[in-house]
Amino acid sequence: MEDYKPPDLPSPFNNTTPPPTLLTQGAEAHLYKTTSLNPSNPAALKIRPSKPYRHPILDRRLTRQRILQEARCLAKLVREGVSVPALLALDWEGHGGEEGGWGGAWLMMEWIEGDVVRVVLEKWEAWMKNNQASLDESQIEREEAQVRGLLKKMGAAIGALHKAGVVHGDLTTSNLMLRPFAGADGAGAESVSTEGDVVLIDFGLASQSAQDEDRAVDLYVLERAIGSTHPRSEPLFDELLLGYRESYKGAPSALKRLEDVRMRGRKRSMLG
Amino acid sequence: MASCLETISVPHLPSLPVHVALYRDVQNAAFLKGQLLAGNSEFEYALIDASMLLSRAHATAAVFRAVNDYMHNRLKSRNVHSEIVFSFNSTNNIAESFRRFGIADSTKDLLVVKVSVSPEITHESVAAHLCATVQGTSVPFDDQTLAEVHDVNKIKRVYKLGALPSPPKATDLSNGTNDELRQRLENALLAAIALRGS
Amino acid sequence: MIAIGMEGSANKLGIGIMLHPKDGSPPQVLANIRHTYVSPPGEGFLPKDTARHHRAWVVKLVKQALKEARVSVDDVDCICFTQGPGMGAPLQSVVVAARMLSLLWGKELVGVNHCVGHIEMGRLITGATNPVVLYVSGGNTQVIAYSSQRYRIFGETLDMAVGNCLDRFARTLHISNDPAPGYNIEQLAKQGKQLVDLPYVVKGMDCSFSGILAAIDGLAREWGLGGEEKAKEDEKNIQKSVIAANEGLESTPTRADLCFSLQETVFSMLVEITERAMAHVGSKQVLIVGGVGSNERLQEMMGIMARDRGGSVYATDERFCIDNGIMIAQAGMLAYGTGYRTPLEKSTCTQRFRTDEVFVKWRN
Repeated sequence: MEDYKPPDLPSPFNNTTPPPTLLTQGAEAHLYKTTSLNPSNPAALKIRPSKPYRHPILDRRLTRQRILQEARCLAKLVREGVSVPALLALDWEGHGGEEGGWGGAWLMMEWIEGDVVRVVLEKWEAWMKNNQASLDESQIEREEAQVRGLLKKMGAAIGALHKAGVVHGDLTTSNLMLRPFAGADGAGAESVSTEGDVVLIDFGLASQSAQDEDRAVDLYVLERAIGSTHPRSEPLFDELLLGYRESYKGAPSALKRLEDVRMRGRKRSMLG
Repeated sequence: MASCLETISVPHLPSLPVHVALYRDVQNAAFLKGQLLAGNSEFEYALIDASMLLSRAHATAAVFRAVNDYMHNRLKSRNVHSEIVFSFNSTNNIAESFRRFGIADSTKDLLVVKVSVSPEITHESVAAHLCATVQGTSVPFDDQTLAEVHDVNKIKRVYKLGALPSPPKATDLSNGTNDELRQRLENALLAAIALRGS
Repeated sequence: MIAIGMEGSANKLGIGIMLHPKDGSPPQVLANIRHTYVSPPGEGFLPKDTARHHRAWVVKLVKQALKEARVSVDDVDCICFTQGPGMGAPLQSVVVAARMLSLLWGKELVGVNHCVGHIEMGRLITGATNPVVLYVSGGNTQVIAYSSQRYRIFGETLDMAVGNCLDRFARTLHISNDPAPGYNIEQLAKQGKQLVDLPYVVKGMDCSFSGILAAIDGLAREWGLGGEEKAKEDEKNIQKSVIAANEGLESTPTRADLCFSLQETVFSMLVEITERAMAHVGSKQVLIVGGVGSNERLQEMMGIMARDRGGSVYATDERFCIDNGIMIAQAGMLAYGTGYRTPLEKSTCTQRFRTDEVFVKWRN
């Protein structure tokens, strides 16, 4: 099987020096690191390449619709002061690398420093596993308090998102980042630092909604994700819900709905 | 005076250098505007009232938007320079964009932008022409200078961002909270520019 | 080891006989026969009529299969039957037949999940080792990937199955149900040129078709394209629109255009959710199974997507894609090999039987 080659970058990024570096390739979008409009700042460049399997008219319609939906959500969240990457530039028409053909739409965002929460929790869980034997109760207590604090901040960040009338649509610990405070040296803490701001990223499936159901599904998806990828942190999920509950007026009713969503699960029995 | 003409290679648009100069206490705004209105091609510049500029990033975003649209044959206005003025606007009304951001007879602080869309347009040619025609004090095009001339409330009004908390008048740029508020406002402007016409 | 597979969860009655050689060489299909209950144009198949059809044909088909396979009853090791999911009455008529044969011949029963049957048959025929599976038929629409002894459902339809959506639109247009409504839509779609705007509903890895069906039914009504009379004019209208297209004229959409647009839209949705699942589990193989999987346009689109991801698509032809008996024999025999049996008192069938309920003991 031949190696995968990402499609050509849309113009003008086919002229960028140094060329943007590919970070991740999702089903829908490719994420690159490049420079922002200020050459001394990095930026994240999200490209939604054209999908040659679908009819060109449908392809343009979907690509345009989705990149705009994402951009509009980001713009709204920026205005509301929610911690998300700033929208720096956008092209929903899209241009191919060659002959000005249709190559896909793109969106340039502020670069967020730091690790995704998945990595932070994994580091912490690994550290705990390696050091458990040598820790006394108060140290364990302190470590767990630290992670509880992180989960609470995550809850507050999600609350701020929902308060602004946006639901994420794909909340996982890979879509929440921990941006260290400016000037913090990172090390110093005994295990893993959980200092910093929680920043929400990847709004590719986000939409504007203020319905309890959509909000509850956001939380439920994250709960499941934490349960499956961070077993040790799962018992601390209540802390996230606490942070959420305190973050805006509509939170208690969304949390009430979460109970229903949990009962129902995602599992449906279907007719054959 | 022309020493302050800066030539920027905008990232991602290396083939089209952009020349920018910021002036204070401009004496002949009415004349410059007149040349523009008369369609005098010697005066094909983006002439922007600097009181409407929050920051350098704000201006760069509009320039980038216009030049990118120019490269892809999507101009809504006559040329890339009028498009730059238009690109500051958050709506599709070109005349309105000139009223809001373009040079007025009363303009005192002025940003001049020229894109090297043809080989004759060079740093030297632009510098020489501006030196001969703009009567004002050339100052560095940076956030500090813009902070002295801009009118944040007016900017917020035209971008319909009145609900956003205002950063206090930037006398002390080192203050953390002010920084955050200013950044939030700037990010909101960049988003509005990126999304215009969507 | 030889198994008889009996399938009748929808309007196809399939009997298959499969041999798993003792020396471990590849399994062999000894017989694969099918009889389809075809309803008149404009009508779907009703459970009671379909069940009657299966009852009337099952004995004949089993006899014929044994004859074709050149095996005697003594050679048969087990009788595999579809337990679900599917339509109640047709399922039941086949289960009764399976039980009867089991008692008559003294053979053990193996109940099989219909979806797992499709997956195992697809794997066998194509050689795909660990693909993401798109299972698309008149009753099911699922994106499946294997993980720790289950076929897990990553995405599925939130309302009707994609094949049901196509079949019902065929009814609106009074397209023949022979050999299958989807097949005839596919042929008509090949003449289509204009893409009509239809809803496109994907939520994560799930999708929905009921809104699309309502929209396209509405368009057919609006342009007077539904019903028996129009069905007779297909030939003429297609020619007219081809002439118009050649002359660069915008003509009003034809029935062919509607079929084309419906296929383009729903297949794009299916390819999209499949791609998302592939990215999620990091797989480069995709296997299409189920009746809709025999559609060549769907296979083509899936192939382009897979190629762009550096992978490949695996599909089978109508013999194995469309419901059949050997897929039940194949999946049944894999379970049988691990010691799985369905005792008589548990040999019931069920309309609802999720793919992920089956413990896949035969894979690691």
